[in-house]
Amino acid sequence: MSSWLDYTINGLIVGNVYALVAVGLALIFGVSRLINFAQGSIYLVGAYIGWVAVVQLHTPLPLTIIVVALAAALVGLIIERFGLRPLQNSARIAPLLATIGISFVLDQIVMLTFSPNPRALPSQLPDVRFQVGNGTIGPLDLLIAGVGLTSALLLFVFLRYSKLGWAVRATAQDRDAAMQMGVDVNRVNQAVFGIAAALGGVSGMLVGMYYNQIDTAMSLQATLKGVVAEVVGGAGNVPGAVVGSLLLGLVESYGVAVFGTSYRNLFAFLLLVLVLVLRPNGLFASARQAPPEPLTGTFIAPSRPVRIPRWALLIAVGGFAILPLFPVSFYVLQTLINAWLLGMLALSLTLVAGTIGQVSLGHAALLAIGAYTSALLSSSFSVPVGLAVIAGGLMSAALGTTLISPSFRLRGHYVSIATLAIGEIVSLVILNWESVTRGPIGISGIPPLSLFGYDLISASSVYWFSFAVMVVLALLQGRLLNSHLGRSFRAIRDDDIAARAYGLSLNRYKSLAFIFGGFAAGVSGAIAAHLYSYINHETFNTQQSILALTVVILGGLGNVVGAVVGSVALVGLPEVFRIAAEYRILIYGIVLLLLVRFRPQGLLGTI
Amino acid sequence: MSNIDRRTLVKGSLAAMMAGAAFSRAAFAQSSEPILLGVSGPLTGPNAQYGTQWKQGFDLALDEIQAAGGINGRKLAYSFEDSQSDPRQSVAIAQKFVSDPRIVMELGDFSSPASMAASPIYQRGGLVQFGFTNSHPDFTKGGDFMWSTSVSQADEQPLLAQYAVKRLGLKKLAVLHLNTDWGRTSRDYFVKAAKEYGAEVAVTEGYIAEERDFRSTLVRVRDANPDGLILISYYSDGALIARQARQVGLKQTICAASSVYSPKFLELGGEAVEDVHLGTRYFPEDPRPEVQKFIAGFKKKYNGQEPDAFNAYAYDAMNMAAAVVKIGGTDRRAIRDAFTKVRDVSSVIFGTATFDVETRRVKGAMNAELVVRKGQFALWDGKPT
Repeated sequence: MSSWLDYTINGLIVGNVYALVAVGLALIFGVSRLINFAQGSIYLVGAYIGWVAVVQLHTPLPLTIIVVALAAALVGLIIERFGLRPLQNSARIAPLLATIGISFVLDQIVMLTFSPNPRALPSQLPDVRFQVGNGTIGPLDLLIAGVGLTSALLLFVFLRYSKLGWAVRATAQDRDAAMQMGVDVNRVNQAVFGIAAALGGVSGMLVGMYYNQIDTAMSLQATLKGVVAEVVGGAGNVPGAVVGSLLLGLVESYGVAVFGTSYRNLFAFLLLVLVLVLRPNGLFASARQAPPEPLTGTFIAPSRPVRIPRWALLIAVGGFAILPLFPVSFYVLQTLINAWLLGMLALSLTLVAGTIGQVSLGHAALLAIGAYTSALLSSSFSVPVGLAVIAGGLMSAALGTTLISPSFRLRGHYVSIATLAIGEIVSLVILNWESVTRGPIGISGIPPLSLFGYDLISASSVYWFSFAVMVVLALLQGRLLNSHLGRSFRAIRDDDIAARAYGLSLNRYKSLAFIFGGFAAGVSGAIAAHLYSYINHETFNTQQSILALTVVILGGLGNVVGAVVGSVALVGLPEVFRIAAEYRILIYGIVLLLLVRFRPQGLLGTI
Repeated sequence: MSNIDRRTLVKGSLAAMMAGAAFSRAAFAQSSEPILLGVSGPLTGPNAQYGTQWKQGFDLALDEIQAAGGINGRKLAYSFEDSQSDPRQSVAIAQKFVSDPRIVMELGDFSSPASMAASPIYQRGGLVQFGFTNSHPDFTKGGDFMWSTSVSQADEQPLLAQYAVKRLGLKKLAVLHLNTDWGRTSRDYFVKAAKEYGAEVAVTEGYIAEERDFRSTLVRVRDANPDGLILISYYSDGALIARQARQVGLKQTICAASSVYSPKFLELGGEAVEDVHLGTRYFPEDPRPEVQKFIAGFKKKYNGQEPDAFNAYAYDAMNMAAAVVKIGGTDRRAIRDAFTKVRDVSSVIFGTATFDVETRRVKGAMNAELVVRKGQFALWDGKPT
């Protein structure tokens, strides 16, 4: 029994740590309805500023906290002013992408300045331990809890009783009405970003001290856990975020207790999916609260797509088809093969996210399902590779649609969060289901692509194969979009209530979109598996999902040609920037930000 | 030196395609340009720290090789392409290296998914892929162009088990391991060896690389009531586990795999890593001349910084590459054949390294039993802690 007390205490301690990030995320979401993916990067920046203050300048703790808070707030203000304010009149998906771009840039700047080696960040508190249960807690645990609770409480009071707080809440409820009532919305946004960033920076520093370790990889993990905690507590609900964090910590700790360490995150993400399905507004939303994603059709703004004449497309397809006949290097061909594989994934996501409006952040899971199916069928059961690839696509369509179906009732950001969680769950199942997937050892010796008994080994034959598959999928999808199905999909995206009133079954159409999209993504993953000959649970990771979403937004949501153009651009740009060595991801992030800034509707526009 | 001139690259590839590889290589052999090795590894992304450690090891080895007259009078150089340890990028890099006639062999990648995804391209392209950190048991099975000096876990883990069970007298063990292909393989070899030496393995816990919080895991460990903790970890997670173990009141002996051997382990772990035992391949007071030369050279080049295990792997790999190119020249196939001929190359990790032609790996890593005393790595004096 005493162990359960220890698990409970440990869960609360780590929940405490998550709360620091979740509160900042909740504050920003409350005002601008934006999941700030750059919050983890501000946390990272805070940790490194803390390191400079403690190790280089030897500041005492109170001064360190003030320095970090001010510096992080400044970063937050800069992000708000130059990264997000210019986008406030574009579709809400644009600022989301902008925060992803900002986080790339911030992480890279920190990495280039401080080198990627982890550093020790010594705690400045006395090293005394208090016995609780069979374990101990230290003063830093109490400080973190104090900062988390106090900031949540202060924010709660600020939002409820101060004039600026009222303005913040008014802006959150209805930005235009607030503006008409004379609220300076920009000042409100500035205040919120400043406060959230200060909190984020201080939490990064405290957590760094807590573990006596800071490194540049901590940013993404912090964002992931913070988002989960925040959504569990109810997006935009500051006290809810604290409770959500503690709950998340407890669930993880009990998960470890019952099933072992390797299952820890599985429980975190299962909790998230469960909460989203049962109480999509979070555990603590009151019945009176306005729905958090009230306005259909505002998440994705319509725009005029760029019309590309048919002859130009034909020339482009023809040109790429005969490319291997010319003396181009295999490197160029391989890069384009990667682009075509990403293109298939982007076709899938542009249908699901763009055409029917279910913005998925876990699309890499579909790749993984297709890849594992095809790899296992062809290596363990000697199924011909051509058939195995198709089976991979079918399995991905079936399993992917089944997994995603509980989230069909969600809208807007909530779909993204649910799919993010499902993506993580798939990856963790692959890691733990060793009898089938061979766990972390992965599957090696996957046979190469072959068709009717002929191995496709040379770069040109793989190129032609993947290009042909992608073109066929693109043609099918283009045909689909012009049929009544395509119109129904768009009707659901633009106004699901009107669509339902008109007699469209939302679930059925969403399933159809995921089946078609799942197939394309599964085929892409399967081809990749045969190309690589080795896959494990890390091959198809969250970064892939984020990359795919970036491609889709860049190309223009729902835009088939845009998805392909976006893929070529986002595979090609980092390769072109190779000349810049360590700086290439930084440059890539900046280019991405500029594109979002000047073409928020995507290169070719939303269809 | 890591920047390839793009125009040269394209021209080079065109030449290779049109005129045939043999011709362009023959023309190249007479030039006075450096002999170029390709390196595929992470310089950005979550594993970026290991790529930067590789660079330090490579650069030190190259300085020494150049000072000793290079390769038959020609300089040796490398072109480092950042893969982020991502298989999509490592395959593109593989095609880039294969179609660049100046590249005579390739080193890397870091992670198994990135390395083994690129193997088919290197194998078909006839370019040696020399994976010096690739412990995945299937890596060298990718073909006869895959060679590795990574210490086989089948060799290393029994040594660790011997240290923990035979020498430290631990009887009931808790094993914590990174849940990656390396950690999993290592765990299996360790558990097998520990049982053969007569110890009981009470609990094994695998954790993912991003994990920071081990308190609940350590409660599980405590409830299994072991008399020793075995860490199959890298230095950053190893330090975290040691700290949290002491914080939750676990006082058992900790014994760690050689991958924690890094000054960072001491820095990040602080007082908590005091008395942690670890097996390593070399240590600062090691009297072997190659170790003394490596440590002295490293400290001189990098402002007194102590080298760690990954620096040593990279340093050894570059020296091995130089030895192979000396025998094989600049022809890619001859270089592959040279791996079978190269004998007794001086090595920090192995003392002297010779490949087993069957497995394309090197056996017989050196072993030293260290313990952390007063914040420093020291040779274990046989006294219990």
